[in-house]
Amino acid sequence: MQSVACPTCGAEVTFRSPALPVRVCDYCRTLVVRYSQTAQGMGTAAVLPFDISPIQIGTEGQCFDQSFSIIGRVRWAWEDGAWNEWLMLMADGSHAWLGEAMGQFMALREVELAGSLPQVIRRLMNDTQVRPGESGNIAGHSYEVADVRTVHCIGCEGELPFTAPSGWKALSVDFRNRDGRCASFQKDRHGPSLYVGHYVTLASLQPRNLRPLPGWSLPADAA
Amino acid sequence: MPPEDSSVRTLSCPTCGGTIAMRAAGYTVTLACEYCGTLIDATNPDARIITRYHEMQASLDIPLGTRGTLRGVEWEAIGWLQRTDGWAAWEEYLLFNPYAGYRWLIAQNGRWSLGTMLTAAPQRDGPDYIVAGRRFSPFYSGSTARVTRVAGEFYWRVKVGEEVRATDYVRPGFMLSLEQDDREKSWTVSELLTGREICAAFDVASPPAWLPGMTPLAHQPSPFARRLKEWWPVAALSFMALLVLLTLFGGTMQPQSFSLSVTPDGPSVSQTFGPIELPFGRQAMTVQAMTPNVDQGWVDIDISFVNRRTQDSYDAYALNEHYSGQDSDGYWSEGSPLQTLKIASLPAGTYDLVVDARAHHWGSTGNWGWDASSGTYKTEGLPPVEVILTVARGARFASNFWLAVLLILSPPVLMLILHIMFENARLAQKDGEPADADDWLQGMQAP
Repeated sequence: MQSVACPTCGAEVTFRSPALPVRVCDYCRTLVVRYSQTAQGMGTAAVLPFDISPIQIGTEGQCFDQSFSIIGRVRWAWEDGAWNEWLMLMADGSHAWLGEAMGQFMALREVELAGSLPQVIRRLMNDTQVRPGESGNIAGHSYEVADVRTVHCIGCEGELPFTAPSGWKALSVDFRNRDGRCASFQKDRHGPSLYVGHYVTLASLQPRNLRPLPGWSLPADAA
Repeated sequence: MPPEDSSVRTLSCPTCGGTIAMRAAGYTVTLACEYCGTLIDATNPDARIITRYHEMQASLDIPLGTRGTLRGVEWEAIGWLQRTDGWAAWEEYLLFNPYAGYRWLIAQNGRWSLGTMLTAAPQRDGPDYIVAGRRFSPFYSGSTARVTRVAGEFYWRVKVGEEVRATDYVRPGFMLSLEQDDREKSWTVSELLTGREICAAFDVASPPAWLPGMTPLAHQPSPFARRLKEWWPVAALSFMALLVLLTLFGGTMQPQSFSLSVTPDGPSVSQTFGPIELPFGRQAMTVQAMTPNVDQGWVDIDISFVNRRTQDSYDAYALNEHYSGQDSDGYWSEGSPLQTLKIASLPAGTYDLVVDARAHHWGSTGNWGWDASSGTYKTEGLPPVEVILTVARGARFASNFWLAVLLILSPPVLMLILHIMFENARLAQKDGEPADADDWLQGMQAP
C-alpha cells in the first residue's frame, strides 16, 4: 500500500494495488497518476450519477477461485443505457473486472491479443464492421457476437489501470457463449483489448460489505 | 458520495407534471409516466421526452412501487407492460431488487408466472430444449408479441408498438420463451406460481379454478393429473380392503341344515327349526332351498326368520319346480330343484326358522282320487318330496361388490375425463405439429 498527497487538494491518496497507476482522489476527484516516487494530476473525473448498484468500493468476495476486493469503477454509457465495470483486486495481486449491467454480473479477465485469433477479432482490430450473431472461437470456446456499441466513459472512482476521462470513447463488442461464458472486446485510442469470463450471480460471489441501500435489506447471507 | 436517505429518486413528468419515481437509478433507461404514459429518457440528465402521451391512468392489479416476497426475495414492481400476440393479451410486471436483479411477473387469464432471464442458452435436443435438466417441448412458434401499453421504468428503450418474435416451449408448470429482434435474442424461463404464492406475495385475486370450456395456459399443469395419481393408490387400497371385507364377512359361514318332507298334493307342512344365533350387528342370511326329488311338480316354500325376543319376522319365498318329458324333439326338462334366498339385513339375536312348504303334482302319472274337501282330483301314493334348507350367515351380494367397485372407480374415471378435456383444450392451442403421444405423456408429469 502506498500513499501520496493529491497534487490538487493535498488530501492523502492511498493506492491498495501495487501495480495500478491511476487513483481518483476521493475529495476533489482529480485523476492522480503515480510514477515511481511522484504523483501527477491528469484532469478531473466527473461525479458519478446516483445509481442503485449493490457493489461499492470495499466490497469483497470470491471469484476465479480466489478472494477479491473492489478497488475501482468505471461507468460506461451508450445511447440506450449505462453500466458499471468494477475493478477487482485479486488475492494474487492481479486484477479482473466485474461487469454489472441490467442486474446481471460478468466476471472478466483480460487476455493477451496474441497468437491465433479468430477472424471476428481480427476484423474488429482492423476496424471492419461486425454484426450481432457472428461467431468465433476465443480461448477454446465458441462465442457469438451479442452486441456492438460505441460507448463513452461517464465517470470513474477509486484505483484504475488507466486514466478514464469523461467522454472517453470506445468500441465495445460483447460476446456470449451457450453455457454462460462471455467475452468483451474493447477498442479505443490506446488500442484493442480482450476480456474473457463468465456470468456470475451476486450470491455466487459470496459477497461481503455490499453497499447498504436505504429501504432494502441486504441478502441474508451477505450481511 | 454523500449518504443518501432513500434509494428512490423522483422527477416531475414533463407532460402532466405528475411525480414519477425512479426506483432503479443507474439501470433504468426508459421511464413511462404512470399517469399519462409519456415516455421519458432516463439516461438524459434533463429527462428528455421520447414520446408524449395523454393517456388515462391504467388501473394495475399491482400498483407500481408495491413490494412482495417471492421465493425468499423481496421484489418491488417497478414497470408494467401490456402485450399481445394478436389473439391473446397479457401483462408483464418488471420486478426489481438491487441485490437480486430483475424478474418478470407475467399475468394471463388471472394466472401468474415468475420469469427469469437466462444468461446461458438452453441446450437443444431434437425439437426440444433442456434447461437445468428440465425438458421443454415446442408449443407456440413464430408469434409476434407487441407492446400495447407501458408504465413505470425499464432497463431498455421500451416503446409502445415494439415487437419481438416469440417462440415458446413448455413443460407442466414451466414455459421457456425465446424472444428475438434484429439485435438481440433472449431466453426466459417462467414458472407458474400457485395461487397461494402469488396472493401471499402481492395482494391479487386468486387464480380461477379451471372449468370445462375455459382455455388453460400453455404451461398450466392439469389439476387432474396430480389428483389422478394421488387417487390410484387410494383406489387400489380400497379395492384390497373390499376384497378383505368380502372374505371376512361376505362368505357364508357356519351353515346349518334342516329338512322336512312334504307329500305332493298333500297338506301344507309347517315346521319350526332353531335356534339360529346371529351374534353380529346387522347381517345377511343365505338360505339354500333344495328339493332333490321334486318331479313333475312344484314346491312352494315360505320361510320366515322370527326373532325369539321381539317376534319380528323376516320372510322369503322360494318356488322349486321340475318338469320333464318326451316329445318329438326328444327329452326335455325345465325348472330347478334349487333356489338360493338372501335376506339382506337381520339384526343380531336368536331366531327360529319357520318353514311352510306345500308340494303339488302336475301331470298324468300317478293315481288320482277325488278329494271331497277341496273338490278336486288329487294324486295319491306319490313319494314325499324332501325339502332341505341350508341356512348360513352372510351373503355375497355380487351387485354390492360391483357397486363398491364402481364407487371406487368413479372418481378417477371422472378425473381422467376432466384431465383429457383439460389437456385437449390446452393442446388445441399448440402450433406446428399436432399434439402427439409425447405431449399427452408430458401433460401427466408433475410440475
